[in-house]
Amino acid sequence: MKPLLFTLLGVAFIIALFSGATAINPFAMSNIEQEILLSLRLPRVLFSAVIGGMLALSGSVYQLTLKNPLADSFTTGTASSAALGAVLGIACGLPVPLVPVLALITGLCGLMMVYRLSISDGVINPVTMILAGVVVNIVASAVISFSKFYFEESLSSIVFWLMGGFFIVDWTRLIVCALLLAISFVLLQRISLQLNLLAFDEASARTMGIDVARLRRFSFVLATLLVAVAVSHTGIIGFVGLITPHVARSLYGSDMKQNLTASTLLGALLLMLADAGARSIIPGGAELPVGIITALLGGVFFLYLLRTRRERLWHG
Amino acid sequence: MAELRIDGLDFTRGDFHLQLPPLRVATGEKLAILGENGSGKSTLLQLLTGLLDGKEQIYYDQQLLGKIPIVERARIFALLPQQAQVIFPFSVFEVVLFGRFAQTDGRSPQENDHVQTRLLIDQLDLTHLAERSFNQLSGGEQRRVMLARALNQQAQILFLDEPNASLDVRHSLDIFEFLKQTTQTVISPVHDINLAANFFERFWLLKNGQLLADVSHDELTSELLSETFDVQVSNTAGNFSFSR
Repeated sequence: MKPLLFTLLGVAFIIALFSGATAINPFAMSNIEQEILLSLRLPRVLFSAVIGGMLALSGSVYQLTLKNPLADSFTTGTASSAALGAVLGIACGLPVPLVPVLALITGLCGLMMVYRLSISDGVINPVTMILAGVVVNIVASAVISFSKFYFEESLSSIVFWLMGGFFIVDWTRLIVCALLLAISFVLLQRISLQLNLLAFDEASARTMGIDVARLRRFSFVLATLLVAVAVSHTGIIGFVGLITPHVARSLYGSDMKQNLTASTLLGALLLMLADAGARSIIPGGAELPVGIITALLGGVFFLYLLRTRRERLWHG
Repeated sequence: MAELRIDGLDFTRGDFHLQLPPLRVATGEKLAILGENGSGKSTLLQLLTGLLDGKEQIYYDQQLLGKIPIVERARIFALLPQQAQVIFPFSVFEVVLFGRFAQTDGRSPQENDHVQTRLLIDQLDLTHLAERSFNQLSGGEQRRVMLARALNQQAQILFLDEPNASLDVRHSLDIFEFLKQTTQTVISPVHDINLAANFFERFWLLKNGQLLADVSHDELTSELLSETFDVQVSNTAGNFSFSR
């Protein structure tokens, strides 16, 4: 089904590997260049691919379970409330492995708040959902900025949390995230048939044999876990989960079995390229937070969705 | 086969109160539920399909509804809700095929599921729309697709909330004819009383959440309808006509 996608992924991988402050000629590498390539660039490129996959997979699940084409970890406020948990956890001196757990809890709280605010009589109002997401986002970002400035007097770490970036990369983080992505992917693939039925109204889905409440709960927790772990390592990188499920849907149809796979691969592709851009745009070796690039792409895409789907968004 | 038995039904939500005496619906019966807007028809369907929880005692073949696993329920009954919708551009074929979920026990549909789906799509005059995106269809076309989806469950009882809503005359007649022929039980709120009288054999008349009458086709009189709907009803040559 997806030879094209895998080819593109390979090309993006090569591009990302060879872009950056130091130009490397793959055919005549010095020892230092080899060192840069293998111990700095390789883990970073792989990390960006894995994080991209995690965010995109969560976006695919959010859009379905929230019945909203504009949903992703950023627009639902989940990413920023998860980041808030991570920041507070770090500020309170929580052991590193527990930081994502706190992020998961606050992320779920943020998501549930947005969900509760936007649902009435079992129907989710997509516009209210986005508004509630914006509010959660603003409040969580303010608290993040405050606590970062108060505890560390550090503006650059505020930028890290709010804009996101791959500043700290090591093999352990990479392996943990890759494992989580793989497990979540397999779990979601196994229930992809049931997920499809969540696209129906609740009455239809339930009488077709789906325990809607249970399935939605499971999806929320798993998607938010992906976001919480990603955010704990890279800060808030928005819109990856917004763009990729749409592109996947227009390429391979709406079937979740296809959409989960294609979204994940496209997310990896997108974030590898975005990070390559973030590393090479500023001359002289300075790095742009990758979230700036995804926000730029995502913002434009969001506008496009608003334009094309305005009618359906307002009128359900 | 599934027999529906209501031992007691007493449901309150806000001001609204729905109460039914003990009732049975035998396998294969064609039952129309008639009543004004807000008389409790849709609420009754929601209770009978377990979408609303009350203190009701509803049994399918001696099994209490609350004790039947959700996927098993989908093999006993199917529901066509009034407001059925699908987000994302699934094709008509996909939407109808999803109806097979309970029959395949949640596994991927096999060749025979595809065959069955094609057959149903042909029967409901949807062949030319099969590859179209569900969301681009007209209201009436969407309604027929959703009906096909419900029929594809091959459940023993069909709860169809106004199956002909937004359908044109020809398709309404086709669908009622189809439902008349089927061996499945059909329980269906219907607004078009003459159409209901032509195709159904048993009628529950609901008024303000109470069962006014439970009558067979021959017992459905102008007087009963007049009482149910608060209008003048006259019967000329088997056709009811209504006036204020």
